[in-house]
Amino acid sequence: MKSRLRLSDLVGLGFRGLAARPTRAVLTAIGIAIGIAAIVAVIGISASGRADLIATLDRLGTNLLRVSPGSGVFGTGSEVPEEAARMAARIGPVQSVSQTTRVEATVRRNDLISELETGGLAVLASRIDLLDQLSVDVVVGRFLDEATSEVPTVVLGAVASERLGIADLEPRPRVYLDGHWFTVIGILEETELHPDLERAVLIGYPVAENLFDTSESPTALYVRAAPEFLNDVAEVIPATVNPQQPDAVEVTRPSDALLARQAADEALTQLLVGLGAVALLVAGVAIANVMVMSVLERRTEIGVRRALGATKRHIRLQFLVESTLLAGIGGLLGIALGGGITVAFAANRGLTLSVPPEGIALSIAAALAIGALAGLYPAWRAARIPPAEAVRK
Amino acid sequence: MTAVSTPGAVLRLNDVAKIYPGSPPVHALDGIDLAIGEGELAAVVGPSGSGKSTLLHVMGALDRPTHGTVEIDGIDVATLSDRALSGLRSQKIGFIFQDFFLIDGLTATANVAEGLLYRGLPRRARNERARHALERVGLGHRLTHRPNQLSGGERQRVAIARAIVGNPAIVFADEPTGNLDSATSDEIATLFADLNSDGATIVVITHDRELAARFPRLVELRDGRITGDTSLHPV
Repeated sequence: MKSRLRLSDLVGLGFRGLAARPTRAVLTAIGIAIGIAAIVAVIGISASGRADLIATLDRLGTNLLRVSPGSGVFGTGSEVPEEAARMAARIGPVQSVSQTTRVEATVRRNDLISELETGGLAVLASRIDLLDQLSVDVVVGRFLDEATSEVPTVVLGAVASERLGIADLEPRPRVYLDGHWFTVIGILEETELHPDLERAVLIGYPVAENLFDTSESPTALYVRAAPEFLNDVAEVIPATVNPQQPDAVEVTRPSDALLARQAADEALTQLLVGLGAVALLVAGVAIANVMVMSVLERRTEIGVRRALGATKRHIRLQFLVESTLLAGIGGLLGIALGGGITVAFAANRGLTLSVPPEGIALSIAAALAIGALAGLYPAWRAARIPPAEAVRK
Repeated sequence: MTAVSTPGAVLRLNDVAKIYPGSPPVHALDGIDLAIGEGELAAVVGPSGSGKSTLLHVMGALDRPTHGTVEIDGIDVATLSDRALSGLRSQKIGFIFQDFFLIDGLTATANVAEGLLYRGLPRRARNERARHALERVGLGHRLTHRPNQLSGGERQRVAIARAIVGNPAIVFADEPTGNLDSATSDEIATLFADLNSDGATIVVITHDRELAARFPRLVELRDGRITGDTSLHPV
């Protein structure tokens, strides 16, 4: 002779218990919903941001080194061999090399503007393979090629084009470089990893040599190497490009900036998820509180159920299921809310939407676990009520 | 008057006492010997404080006696775990309470079906039997009404249907007419008689001598002791 309660009936009891006091159930579930929404939104937004960051990193590659052979404390006057790029290319794992050289000239919109108003823009001589090397593209026009490198043509960095007030190539804009008119043939896209290029105008080496006596001694070398040997390359490169003053050589990896941002994002995400977890904890305490109240109010119901044959375990399960459902409903609400926030944010910022499914699964699991935990004590109390006392008038 | 076992007894109490600790301890029940045979309709009557409710709880396996034995349908309650006791209640015992104790949000049918919930029957079967039980108590036209749409008498009929829906070996009613007017009380008493003539074993606990007098057997309780036991038709 045994009491039996079907699982479907148990779940039904849980829903019914909540439906009996809908306002209270909703208010309690909101606590969980807010906590879960915060966590889902934070995870979603940071994942969406990271998706873009990773896409950028993938596109740019992390195997690019930028080498400035002449800077440093005494670096300005140092002689860097013109063949530095060729030397660097001979290092085994190096795949390709490109370079720019600072040109002793200023760039102005026209000859009426004072020589002193350079707008912080530099003139760089550039190899024609520079853009391929950096995975940067032009937004309008085209980059320098063998032909245009010979003649006074110029490609503008993104910031330079803004400062010079040249947004497109109609009608054939020209800029003034120390006594020479150069025709603008292209404008580069924004490239946050190479701020020096954004703030520069680029001309070909032949024309730079002809008009401004620029040598091929590089100001910046861009070296791509096999990723697994990148550190080794970084170690030997100073002595290769500037044998006289290897200490003056500065080797950086532009993608490090993105990686640093990614790390910072992750730290912030963890902090916010932690705050969401605290909100969940508070919501869990609220559920426990409401469930204890509910047990006190429903003494008679508990007594009647015991009289009808419910075991202590059935009573315990009923309240556990009720609090777990309460938290579960809150969790679903929270996921909807947090998902909505993420979608809106990603759309607003133009980010690629990415809500990690394991994040959602985890937050539902967290909500259910909190509900179950919060229900433990009230359920235990409910089951402990002696049936004879509960039905006493 | 004898408590010596009637062979067909559904309920048998031997020298049952219930003592609530305290100073001085309260002897709510003392030396109770009582046997209820199958198919009996009995009233336990006594003034308030006579130990009626305690007796009901002990008889209905909601509480255990301090000493003495309680047998329900041949099973000694003392040997059962709390879990087995619950099982016993779910299969063998029906309860009717003075305040009906229906669940407000549920229809009459669902309330009655709740009486079978802990037997693990499928929902459809529970509802089917609940409808029959409601028809049996004369509420076939109130199947989908909720408690707050029913009169006091109708609510008590729903509670009675819930108690009998599982065909228990014995039904206990605790002051079933305590909240009802006299006309309705009459109807309820008649319903008990009807159910009894169909074979149900029913024990009604009440302080209302007039009501009690309508039943074939009258057990009188005073200060936790049985002071009288008269049968119209001795079993």
